[in-house]
Parts: sequence; C-alpha cells; structure tokens
Amino acid sequence: MKRRTFVGAAASLPAVSILSGTARAQSKEIRMIESGGASGESIQKGYIDPLFQKTGIKVVRESPSSLGKLRALVESGQTSTTLFELGSGIVLQAKKLGLIEKMDWAAINPAPMFPEAKNEYGFGYSYFSTIMAWRKGAKEPQNFTEFFDSKAFPGKRCLPDFPHYCLPFALQAAGVPIDKLFPLDVDLAFKKLNEVKKDVAVWWKAGAQPPQLMKDNEVQYSICWSGRVVGDPAFGLSFAGGKADLSFIAVVKGSKPEDKAAANKLFYEMSLPENQAKAAEVISYTGPSPELDALLPKDKLWQFPTSKQNKAVQYFENAEWWAENGEAVNKKWEAFKLSL
Amino acid sequence: MTGSGIRFIAPLLVLMVVAFNAPIVYMLGLAFWEKGRGFTLEHYEGLLETPVYLRVLGNTMRIALIATIANVVIGYPLAHWMRGLGSRARMIAIALVVLPFWVSILVRTYAWIVVLGNGGLVNRFLQWTGLTDAPVSFLYNELGVTIGMANVLLPFLVLPLFATMIRIDDRLLQAAASLGAPPRTIFWKVYFPLTLPALAAGALLVFILCLGFYVTPAVLGGGRVPMISNLLDTLINQIPRWEQASAISTILLIVTLLIFAAYRRLDRKASA
Repeated sequence: MKRRTFVGAAASLPAVSILSGTARAQSKEIRMIESGGASGESIQKGYIDPLFQKTGIKVVRESPSSLGKLRALVESGQTSTTLFELGSGIVLQAKKLGLIEKMDWAAINPAPMFPEAKNEYGFGYSYFSTIMAWRKGAKEPQNFTEFFDSKAFPGKRCLPDFPHYCLPFALQAAGVPIDKLFPLDVDLAFKKLNEVKKDVAVWWKAGAQPPQLMKDNEVQYSICWSGRVVGDPAFGLSFAGGKADLSFIAVVKGSKPEDKAAANKLFYEMSLPENQAKAAEVISYTGPSPELDALLPKDKLWQFPTSKQNKAVQYFENAEWWAENGEAVNKKWEAFKLSL
Repeated sequence: MTGSGIRFIAPLLVLMVVAFNAPIVYMLGLAFWEKGRGFTLEHYEGLLETPVYLRVLGNTMRIALIATIANVVIGYPLAHWMRGLGSRARMIAIALVVLPFWVSILVRTYAWIVVLGNGGLVNRFLQWTGLTDAPVSFLYNELGVTIGMANVLLPFLVLPLFATMIRIDDRLLQAAASLGAPPRTIFWKVYFPLTLPALAAGALLVFILCLGFYVTPAVLGGGRVPMISNLLDTLINQIPRWEQASAISTILLIVTLLIFAAYRRLDRKASA
C-alpha cells in the first residue's frame, strides 16, 4: 500500500529521476503468497522478523498459494506480489508455463545450502515429510506393507486425495523398495489401491484433516504430513518409507527490480542456519543449511524430516517424473475416485 | 416508457456486463481460443477421448437428483404442516427454517460431523439403545453428502412452497369437501395441483444449486464422492488447466440451461 502511493506520488512529481532512482534500489515493502497455517508463521518468525530488524524491509504475507493463483497473477500482468510458495513438482510446472523468474544466486550470496535447495528457479526453504501415523493404542505397523494390511492391522485409513502422495506408498505396499520407486509402475500402484480402497474412510485434501480424524476416532491410521503429528502424544508415527520433499519460494514473473532486490535480502536471511532454527521452533520442518542439525534441540532431532536417522529411511520426491507424467496420472486418479 | 426505463437500469447493466458477464465469457472462451494458436476444439475433443470428466458430471447430476428428492420429501410435508399452525407457532417455525441461512455453510457442514460421526450423537444413541453394535457410517459417503446438501438447501424449497400454500383459499378445500370429496381426493385433486408450480420451481432451484456444491461434498464426502465443482477446483487451482475447466464449465452451463428450458416448457403447458 505504502509503496504504491509512494510510486504514484513519485510519478506525478517533476523530480521523478531522483526519486525513482532511490526507489529502484530497493523496496521497503514486498508481498509474499505462502501456504498459510503454521508454516506461514514459521516464515514470519524465522525470516521476516529478522529481516525487518536488520533492514526495515517489510514482507506482507497472504495465503493460500495455488498454482492457479500464480497463473492468474502473471496473466493479469500485475506486479504487486513478488514471492510465491510452491511445491517441488510445481516449481517445474511453473517454470514450464513461464510463471516464475530465474533466481539471482550471485546477488543473494547465500550461506552454504544443500544443493537440491539451490534451484535455478526457487529457494528450497523447508523440508517436510509425508509419513504414516496412527492413533495411540492401534497396532503399530513397521512398513507400508503392514500399514495397508487391514487384516493384521484392523482400522479405517485416511489417505491423501493426491496421486503423487498415494501411488509411491501403494507401490511400497506391493513390495517395491524405496530406491526403485521411480519411474513409477502406475498400473501396479492402482491395482494395489483398488485392493485397499475399501479400508479408506476419508481421502484428505487439507493437512489438518488426518490428525483431527484420528483424534475423533473416525480413522485409526493415516498418511499425513509429519509436522502435523510429531510431538503430539495422541499419535504414534514412523518415518519408515516416508516421502521427504522440499517446499520452494520463487519470484513471480515480471516482478519489479526493486522488489526483487528486497526479495534477495529475504532469501539471504532464509539461508542462515540460526534463522532456520528459529523457524523450526514453530513447525517441525527444517531449512536447507547443512549446519542446522547442530543448532536444533537434541531431544527433538527425531521429529525433523532431515535429521540423519529419518533421512536415511525415506525416499525423496522425484519432481521431474511428476512434471512429465502428472497430468496423465491425474486422469487415472479421477477415474479411480469414481470407482470408490 | 421502455426508453426511460433503460436509462435507470443502465448503470447496473454496465456493472453486470463488465464485472460479471465479460469475465465469464472470457473464461468460457478460453476453451476455444488459445494464445498464439487461434481457434481450437482440442479441449472438447480431449473430453470425449477421456470421458472420466463427463462421468464425474453424470455422478454430480445423480447426486443432485437424490438430494433434490430428499428435499422434496422432507420439505413438502414441512411446509404443509407450517400452513396449518397458529400465527405465533408459524412465526417460530419460519424462524427455525430461516435460521440456518444466518449460519456459515462451513459451520453447518462441520456440525454434521459432530452429529453423525462414529463417535457422534446419533451413533452413541444407537449403540446406547442397543440398536446397533458397531457405529453406522453416515459420513464420508453419498449418504453424508445427501444429508448435508438437503440440510443446507431446505429453506430454498420450503419458503416458496410455504408462500404458495398459505395463499390457497381454504374455501376451495371446503367446497370440495361439501361436494363429498374425501380428504385424500381433496389433497390430490385440489390442493396438490395448486402447489405444483411452486414445488417444481423450488425443486429446480435446489437441483441447480446442488450442481455447483463444493464445501459439503469436500467435507462430508471424505473425498469419496467426486463432484464437478471439486474437479474444477483441481483443474483451475492445482494443475492449472483452465482450458479444460472452461470446456467442462460450458457443458455444465448448457446442461443446466436445458433443464431450465424443459422446466419452462412444462410450466407453460401446466398453466395454459
């Protein structure tokens, strides 16, 4: 708001050249669209607040962040929003559709980061896991074969209503080891899902659903995001066979240079391990610094997606495969949903 | 007279066309016109090649029909009962029917989870009385969606129906009785035909609203009841294939208009 009135005033004044010169250097306020909830608060506490204290740059958050919204933003030609949160597969899609800018890593000059987080088109800021969890008291499965075995592990299941979550877990249940999941055997995955669909009470769309449904005893087993269940005594969980994935923040296509300069300052803050440790206090997801583990509380290391014992037993999302095959799989998914 | 009338409604007309109609036409046009490629029918062809989206549309129609029938079965006796009440009781009854309008649809939908869930009021009562041993699954299936939709849409049927019923002259019914007609004949030969146009209009309104329902199937269907608006959400927000979504929306619009046209025809025949 402030920036827009300032730019408007600048345009109407005769001394345009001087004023716009300083304005181009760096904006004092930029906007970000993120996925909301606790992860949004972790961005605020971990990165936005330190940025404001150091530089006075304000970042205004909005949510939620769907790819459709990004497409609408770019196609309408607006430049009020600079930063946009995207999933790892979505970054590739957005790049293909020309909706995001290349990152200027030289200008950001980040602290050391894991290589997969330093993407050409986005800043991988938060590792999160999708794992199996159950209501305390239910029999505890060790792997996804057991998780889907409703005879030995009786109870209703709650699975994500997204094929890119369900298919790899179904393949594990069919006996495929986690290092051989990709390229996915789609037909085998659907065959397994058809066998187990009778035990699935709810297919969730919102991450808040599975923990609530387990608390209400509507379902006993869920596949859900780790940050929603770790540390809650009402649930048991296991990272075995889980999916580790990375959330990105990207720069919206056509953003103004002065906004990009401010955004790069935020990216720098996001690369600092001490800030990432602050963010991890809000939600049990971790940033991309290799030095982060040392700053995290020892007794909570088991909760985080990237701590050593958890990273080893999970598979990492293959965003390239989904960018290639996502749409075709999605049609099969809709057909599968009709058969429920 | 028409000339001066136009002048008064012109501002509203401009607002409607610019803010409402033009974006819709643009959205629907997306399926035909692609940037840099010109006219195309490819998105409609795609629909025919993989008919899964059309099957979701068919599923939506079926559920909308079931929900409408449920509404009629509950709503007609309710409106009729309200007609026979004293004026104070009638005010209270109307207030109770209208009350849900003031509560957010999301709150109303979630309330059903408290009532119908496995550990909900109804299931606890059923198990307490010993009628069932295991909880009955009311939710996360078509039954749950139908109950939720019927609840949300009931006022749309009851209010117009009640307004028509209350205008029916009691003397008509008395005249029929004085000619020796038994109550059942009076109802079917006199009363019901007089309420039929309002019933048809209300049912049609409910049916068309059902076609576009989003929240209730998403929450009470547990992701197991695919409906067209949830599919459109995926196509618009997640994939994002606006062209495909636009083609499906166009088909939905045409089907809705056809149903409306059929109703108008029936209505004209009935009143002629």
